[in-house]
Amino acid sequence: MIGGSLFRWTMAYFAAALAWLLVALALMLGGVGYPAADIASPDTLVLVHAVTIGWLSLAMCGALFQFVPVLVAKPLFAEPWALPALGLLTSGLVCLLAGFLALGGRLPLALWLLPVGAVLLVTGFTLVVVDLGLTAWLRPTGPASFVLVGLASLCATAAFGSIFAFALAGWGGSAGEAVLASGVPLHAIAGLGGWLTLTAMGVSYRLLSMFMLSPDVNERQSRITLATGALAIAVTVAGGALAIGLASGMSAVLLLAGVLGLVSAALYGRDVAGIFRNRKRRQLELNMRIATLSFASLAGVAVLGVALIAVGELAAQVGAFTFLAVFGWLSGLVLAKLYKIVAFLTWLETYGPVMGRTPTPRVQDLVAEGRATKWFVIYYVAVWAGTLTLLAGEPGAFRLAVAAMTLGVAGIIREIVRIRRLADVAHPLRLPGGAIAPHLLFARN
Amino acid sequence: MTAYLDVDVRPILRAGGEPFSVIMAALEKLEPGQGIRLYATFKPIPLFAVMADKGFAHSAKPLEGGEWEVLFTPAETPKTEQGVSPSTDWASAPWPEPSVKLDNRDLEPPEPMVRILAAADQLAPGETLSALLRREPVFLFPQLERRGFRWLGGFLPDGVTYELTVRAPL
Repeated sequence: MIGGSLFRWTMAYFAAALAWLLVALALMLGGVGYPAADIASPDTLVLVHAVTIGWLSLAMCGALFQFVPVLVAKPLFAEPWALPALGLLTSGLVCLLAGFLALGGRLPLALWLLPVGAVLLVTGFTLVVVDLGLTAWLRPTGPASFVLVGLASLCATAAFGSIFAFALAGWGGSAGEAVLASGVPLHAIAGLGGWLTLTAMGVSYRLLSMFMLSPDVNERQSRITLATGALAIAVTVAGGALAIGLASGMSAVLLLAGVLGLVSAALYGRDVAGIFRNRKRRQLELNMRIATLSFASLAGVAVLGVALIAVGELAAQVGAFTFLAVFGWLSGLVLAKLYKIVAFLTWLETYGPVMGRTPTPRVQDLVAEGRATKWFVIYYVAVWAGTLTLLAGEPGAFRLAVAAMTLGVAGIIREIVRIRRLADVAHPLRLPGGAIAPHLLFARN
Repeated sequence: MTAYLDVDVRPILRAGGEPFSVIMAALEKLEPGQGIRLYATFKPIPLFAVMADKGFAHSAKPLEGGEWEVLFTPAETPKTEQGVSPSTDWASAPWPEPSVKLDNRDLEPPEPMVRILAAADQLAPGETLSALLRREPVFLFPQLERRGFRWLGGFLPDGVTYELTVRAPL
């Protein structure tokens, strides 16, 4: 069939992702990992991977399984792979985190858990990359080309991560030790900058222009943004690997990658500003207003990075820098888009079959923006306050900020569950004849 | 030597189905320079014009039992125009002029889809409606197919307006 049918497991991916976000927030509240522990400590690794794999990667995969077929107007290459992939990624992440806990002495020393987790994660991500990659490859233009570069970056991230896991278990040999000793920045840049950021940028182009009635960004323009970002990742991975091989310093490579990344972020800012400027729809929905806070945070990340380099503090403050990138830019954008995507997909699933035959609610009737605004604002104020407390070196105040973030996230999750349950749709319209209420965790068709 | 992708729409035609979207999907899968070898249960004359618009020459030869094999070969200089001329239903008689025309270009999604489905539901058997849109309505197609509607669509030569024609089942 040509066209966008509903992907069955998007909600399951979103639910798993949100559960991991709550786990990560609970860890920070409990004082596990940075800033209570050293930034390179095993506890911090637990926290970082719960956020990046559990929360951000699962949410991104769930959204991509739904929207890549829409971007290229072709069915997914292999829909049946998606649920096994979710199982492999979840079990792999649990193993990996258990391995980190063992590394830190919180569990009996069973370091073989790390390579086992890595193998499970690589297997799961391989299913995702092949499935999405072969689908996006059918029409590799515009947003789909961002997704392809993002998937390639995911492969590089997973390759570095696997080498680390084997090296930490003592199975990596001298080459593995060398990569582990200096490759961590490469792994982090490929993951956060390549996989998560470039993919989020690509998907946001289409979602923003679609929901604001704005013309698509000029292909040549977005291609330059992508090429600069892709070059930054390629320089990081190839130049960094070369530097490790030659046992030379890496600062020149990272500086060049940083400059390219900054240019790419600036070009993206120009593209997004264009979408907002050319929109036909003057009044913005909540998810768009919140997305602007995410773009502001991305700009904040760029400014903070430049400022920290200028005063020679980037190495000391890389935790605060990463925190703003992960929670201000990426997590904020994903939360705002989840709120819209869940409403839209739930509306389509429930009312699509009876649309035109009987009065149906509008998508906006499924949401209660007034109530949700409050939770998003709490979340964002808390994230920015949290960044400042990290910069100021105030771990006690940081935990207060995390408590407020947790409150905001819990409120947003409650709103999303209410959307899925049609709890805010007025009664005569809620389930007209022939409409079936959706299941919380999967789509029926 | 031109390579050909085989597309057999005879099962779809025998089942009373509409193979246009399958052929268009095959067309998008072609490598540059590749052609299509189409098998149909009759000589698909109206399709020749559609394919000529997209830069394909045709040669048809009869098979046994009234069936046809048609080779669509890319011409030397294919037209770059992206649109599908949505005016012909090559499987039967031409579609009637639209009895409803919608301009949904400035509506906020998903309102274009809601209005098309509502208008389609009012069509008499065999009648058509046409709608102008800003995007390929990918979420609409499954809903149309589920209700037994046929559709043709493509971008107009301006590259930004998508014209969709929907025909009610006979």
